[in-house]
Amino acid sequence: MFSQKFRKTLSALMIGSMLAVTACGGGSNQASQAGTADQKAEAQAPAGKKVVNIGLKADPPSLDPSKSNALVDRQVQNSIYDKLFDLDKDGNIVPVLVDSYDISEDGLTYTFKLKQGIKFHDGTDFNAEAVRFNIERNREDTSRRKNEMKFVEQVNVLDASTVEVKLSQAFAPFISILTDRSGMMVSPEAVQKHGDDYLNNPVGTGAYQFVKHVKGDHVTLKKNENYWNGEVKIDEINYKVFSNGTAAVQNLRSGQLDFVDEVPTKEIPTIEKDPNLTVIAEAGMAYQGIYLNTKQEPFTNKYIRQAISKAIDRDAFIKVVFDGYASPANSPFYPGNLAYGDSDKVEKGTPEEIKELLAKGGKPDGFSFKLQIGTSPVQEQFGAVVQSMLKPHGINVELEKVEFGTLLENGSSHKFQALQLGWSGRPDPDQSFYDFVVTGQPNNYSGISNPELDELANLARVELDPAKRKELYDKAMAISHDESQYVYIYHEFTRFGISNKIIGFEYVPDGLIRTAKLDKQ
Amino acid sequence: MKFLVRRLLLTIPILFLVSVLTFSLIHMIPGDPARVILGQEATPEAYEALRKELGLDKPIVVQYVSWVGNVVQGDLGLSITDRVPVTELIAQRLPATIQLTIGTFIVAILIAFPAGILAAVRRGTMVDYTSTFVALGGMSIPSFWLAMMAIIYFSVELGWLPASGYVPFSVDPVQNIMAMILPCLATGLRESAVLMRMLRSSLLEVVNMDFVRTAKAKGLNEVRTILGHVLRNAMIPVVTTSGLMIAGLLGGLVITETIFSIPGFGRLIVESVFKRDYVTVQGAILISASLVVIVNLIVDLLYAVIDPRIKAGKGA
Repeated sequence: MFSQKFRKTLSALMIGSMLAVTACGGGSNQASQAGTADQKAEAQAPAGKKVVNIGLKADPPSLDPSKSNALVDRQVQNSIYDKLFDLDKDGNIVPVLVDSYDISEDGLTYTFKLKQGIKFHDGTDFNAEAVRFNIERNREDTSRRKNEMKFVEQVNVLDASTVEVKLSQAFAPFISILTDRSGMMVSPEAVQKHGDDYLNNPVGTGAYQFVKHVKGDHVTLKKNENYWNGEVKIDEINYKVFSNGTAAVQNLRSGQLDFVDEVPTKEIPTIEKDPNLTVIAEAGMAYQGIYLNTKQEPFTNKYIRQAISKAIDRDAFIKVVFDGYASPANSPFYPGNLAYGDSDKVEKGTPEEIKELLAKGGKPDGFSFKLQIGTSPVQEQFGAVVQSMLKPHGINVELEKVEFGTLLENGSSHKFQALQLGWSGRPDPDQSFYDFVVTGQPNNYSGISNPELDELANLARVELDPAKRKELYDKAMAISHDESQYVYIYHEFTRFGISNKIIGFEYVPDGLIRTAKLDKQ
Repeated sequence: MKFLVRRLLLTIPILFLVSVLTFSLIHMIPGDPARVILGQEATPEAYEALRKELGLDKPIVVQYVSWVGNVVQGDLGLSITDRVPVTELIAQRLPATIQLTIGTFIVAILIAFPAGILAAVRRGTMVDYTSTFVALGGMSIPSFWLAMMAIIYFSVELGWLPASGYVPFSVDPVQNIMAMILPCLATGLRESAVLMRMLRSSLLEVVNMDFVRTAKAKGLNEVRTILGHVLRNAMIPVVTTSGLMIAGLLGGLVITETIFSIPGFGRLIVESVFKRDYVTVQGAILISASLVVIVNLIVDLLYAVIDPRIKAGKGA
């Protein structure tokens, strides 16, 4: 009796399964009738609706500019918010929400005349009061922008469209800082309404307004119908998270994505071969390298540090790890930056030179040290290449793989001998230099303290004349090279993969995707 | 019934232990959420302010007690990094993973049963060798590779199925199923190998028993003997394996979820660990542990259904 019942169950199970298979089969037939996956992706959107899908390598943790610290946040924020200033395709600073501005001769007072008639997505006015609110908000203790805003002493509303910002000391990077998150204007009313939850309900004046954020999966924005700066042609933008670069590229090829924010270098040839896709691989602002802890043996000795820097063959490194899609670095300043120049030139040391440096540093027979490094495949390769480049000189590198959070923790508490971490870079040289080399600054993981270097870095942030600033940075870099507290290795390339259906895309050197002027065939 | 109540009561100490373990382990990992949230732009003041805001400056025991206090009342807390209720995050992520688990299981059964039965019945023949070969292959192929190949072939080359694009079933059932086919196939193929091997060896054990000879002597043909008598008696180890498999899949589909960009539960846990989002990790692991307990309970109950000689709670 049981066996009969069981047989029935089994048959039911089998039939059910068959039905499931038929259903699946039916599904795939439908798809093949619909044609390519490409067409299918488009068919998902209502007729005539233009949707752009952008693949991001990580989920943006915060869409609130004041609480944000990730590069990937800025990709999405650039569509939601307009900024007081922005960069153009040549990296020049141009006013956006600001109509005109004036800087007092002593560099202490900035007067911004704002564009008028602009509204936030929630219908409230963008005006001088809103600018004051934003700058004040960025100065609060809990703001991640506090450091950028630390010289702001006072913000005065002169009239509905004029704001005056008074600084406590001249600060050359100020306008440049306003091209990034500190310059993004959020709706004061939305902040008051949502409080702590504002980061999940962002409101700006930008070309697209926020619809929803499914954490870890996607962010959806829709067109701002009343955008002040020209008609927006795309109806909807989806930022989708693809933590695996190869999977993102396959989605670009099959048409599920129109844009990939970081193409793995190994995949670049695949995209280049595809007639429907384009690769943009351009020098960005980021650099990568190795912190050497000047407070821990053996790197308390500058000759030993210099030996490490001399022993790394940047060109070979880039060929092996990036298939050539990066440029050698010897300074934090990216090609095109005002401080960029001869100080970035790399001279690889000869074996004799390195031997001499090691002898001077009291380690003629070489030594061993531990290098803390992240866990991504590129970082693993990074470690292996450094290891093999130092070995011939008798320097043994022991790799210790740690996660990003731990790297930051160990870096800021100086718990390391050598540590691999870079910086995404900023348009103003000060923002990639000061905090990293001046005594006691938060990103000075190496613990370097050189009064001359401190003085030059301080002068360079006060000086407003670009030519004079460059001279100061050249001098500062000469000291930094002598100290070799950080081994600059390469400037990263921004590597976008783009569908040819996208029209009107312009590459801006900060590596952020500007979507306001995009269109799609 | 008594068994059920006893088992349910037993879950309380299990979940308590899980909560203590998760809490201690996640707090033991070096790296602190405030540091991860602030990144490289942290000033010491901002760091201290954030630690205070997140309650991380309190002693660890105080943090645990206040968390457990809320959990008992059904409140899993607010995600440290996302500032949304953890229950909401889990509710967003769990359906996709459950669907993926069911789909994977169906694919695994559809392949494993016919292949396993055939291999056992035609033991030592080409059929047996071929299915064993394929099964071993399936077990040895990394699922990320299989997934990637499936995407390249079915999505890029043939354009039959989307490479990503998960939407909840309630939003668009057709697109949901379309987006789920490849991931279910990619993981199902691998899981089927395990089931198939288990079924084959279990069948072979049963096939030599006396009652099978009796059945044959009674004049039952081979198909009826296998399906009616042998299969049922060979099911216990298979059900056990299936239970373990489902429990594993519920939290362990992270690679498939990553490659096919499915907002699943496994990815939630892994991402939260990387972000040191203690509250989300604790909540998610607790839910995951509860699911495992439930699956195991179902497996135990199934034993009694399959083999009445096993009285629930005694024989198993």
